[in-house]
Amino acid sequence: MQGLTRYGFRQAASGFFEFPTENARRILPSHIEPVELHHGSSIFSLTAFDFSESMVGPYGEVVMSVIVSPLVKPGKPLPKSAFYPYLVATTTRAAREHAIERWHLPHWMADVEITFTDGERDVTARVRADGEPVAEMTIGDYEWHPVSHLYQSFMHDADGTYLASITMEGEHSEHEEETGRLKLFEHPFNKQLTLSEVSEVPFREMWMRKGLQTFEPLVQLETA
Amino acid sequence: MEAAQKKDEVGKSSFSDYDYSNFYYGAGDDPLNLLVPFAEWYAEARPNGYYLYQEPVQSAPTTRVRVKNNKTGAVQELINLASYNYLGISYRDEVKQAAIEAVQRYGLGASGSPILSGTFDVHDELSRAVARFKDKEACVLFPTGYSANVGFISAMMRSGDTIFCDQYSHASIVDGAILAKSKTVFFRHNNPMDLERKLTGVRGKKMVVVEGVYSMDGDICVLPEIVEVAKRHGARILIDEAHSTFLFGPNGRGVAEHFGLDKEVDFHLGTFSKSLGGQGGFVCGSKKLTDYVNAFGRSRFFSCNLAPPVAAGLVAGLRIVDDEPQLRAKLWSNVAFLRRRFAEEGVDIGKSNSQVMPVMVNNDAKVFAVAEKVQDRGLFLQPVTYPAVPKHKSRLRISVSAAHSEEELETAVQVIAGVLREEGLCKA
Repeated sequence: MQGLTRYGFRQAASGFFEFPTENARRILPSHIEPVELHHGSSIFSLTAFDFSESMVGPYGEVVMSVIVSPLVKPGKPLPKSAFYPYLVATTTRAAREHAIERWHLPHWMADVEITFTDGERDVTARVRADGEPVAEMTIGDYEWHPVSHLYQSFMHDADGTYLASITMEGEHSEHEEETGRLKLFEHPFNKQLTLSEVSEVPFREMWMRKGLQTFEPLVQLETA
Repeated sequence: MEAAQKKDEVGKSSFSDYDYSNFYYGAGDDPLNLLVPFAEWYAEARPNGYYLYQEPVQSAPTTRVRVKNNKTGAVQELINLASYNYLGISYRDEVKQAAIEAVQRYGLGASGSPILSGTFDVHDELSRAVARFKDKEACVLFPTGYSANVGFISAMMRSGDTIFCDQYSHASIVDGAILAKSKTVFFRHNNPMDLERKLTGVRGKKMVVVEGVYSMDGDICVLPEIVEVAKRHGARILIDEAHSTFLFGPNGRGVAEHFGLDKEVDFHLGTFSKSLGGQGGFVCGSKKLTDYVNAFGRSRFFSCNLAPPVAAGLVAGLRIVDDEPQLRAKLWSNVAFLRRRFAEEGVDIGKSNSQVMPVMVNNDAKVFAVAEKVQDRGLFLQPVTYPAVPKHKSRLRISVSAAHSEEELETAVQVIAGVLREEGLCKA
């Protein structure tokens, strides 16, 4: 039986951006419900990882997600929030094949370039695919505290719907100062988003450093 | 690997890792699934600060109140900085006497919908008085301010229409938009440029909704710029003057009058619970408008009408507003005093330029400790934290009243500045 799977990271920068619920619903399977920040306004998140340790070595990863309703069960720990990653891209083929096989995550099927540029109090993640820019996101810091937070990730493919419980540990900064920025470029990578309707300013910026991402074994869900 | 040795089990989180927002959404097969996690969290959260909410007040909401402490059970005599009552009217003898006489005459409640048996002569008197005060042709009453927004917006807008709301809009505006089934678009707070961007290219019926004074930050709507953008795009404008009616403008009609834009704004909404310390809401405008809202404002006619004693008290309160413009002057004098003293003490009040004055704590971890100390030292005011305001924007929200004495306000400044300094949240 598969045990816990761990990924050590140097940093993970994440921005939460408002986008129309109707766009979220176009991305999500019908049985997964988007969270609404306001009526009609859901949440797109982009997370860029710089993994330093894993079963497939160091690599970079970008995760494009919709924030969704977590699955709550009596007696089980309550997650901080839940994601539906609709597109994942990695800098190495080994990382991509590992994640597809183990986590059923939908991937961009070619290596991408991900660079992190540290500012005085911010980090900028740039993603390029096929030699063209895809996304550029700047996330700022606030105060740093060690945390251990539980998240849920839903995945869906032809074989079924899956749930991964993920614990993120490490130094953590989170704020809603609206100081960050996102630029998404016209590119097939971003085809599921109506770019003009994705906010360029994150309402929430999360940044983790020197951390550990731990996946519990994948659970297949029964869906109608 | 080194990192893998850090931990083998999911760590148990403390209550401060969670807030109300974590208990709103939860997929699963039972609507009760969220009850136990919420109850477990609340059992920890309440003694750690959440007990400061819903503490029973045992006296009239004057500038001094008797409050039962939810944690200790003790009754405290506190300076009241939390009640709206901006003009200190609800407990005036004339108001109480009018309500008492109405109780003698009508009994307790209206016992009916306003469109059936629940409209009394005192309701007509109140709506005429409000229309006259607002210099509008007519006024339609609602049982609460919340129902005024919900009922009015859903009466006017339909599926296929678009409602543009400030991102800090009150829940009643958002809920009105939901009930209208219109497309709802939120623009950045008080940002006409973002409104312009969102309005561009949108066809069909459009309504822009703003508030005269925003309830958490106490900042005033940048109405001239909003009106200019909305007009250029053919959108109608609704202003919710819940926190500004009876206070702003040369005649106290509100922020629209303050900016000289009373005629430019299409729909004027207000409440009786803030400046008058009563209850109820209203919409003013043309007779045609109020007749239409009377016919289609579901939150109005599917509710019992305002209790006649409340309506009678409001009529008396409105008379005081008319007769005593010095109350507004006193309020603004108190606001100016408090602003100056907080500035001298280095206390941050954010963007406030009204009688709603947030004391910015800006520390989600300490806001409850600050609020607890402030109450223990004699002040009644509640903490406001995420998700009611953005993360790290925690605050204590002060409602300044014309009834406050300078001594009471000075005491408040000393207590608040002292506590903030002790907590390292304010420079000495």
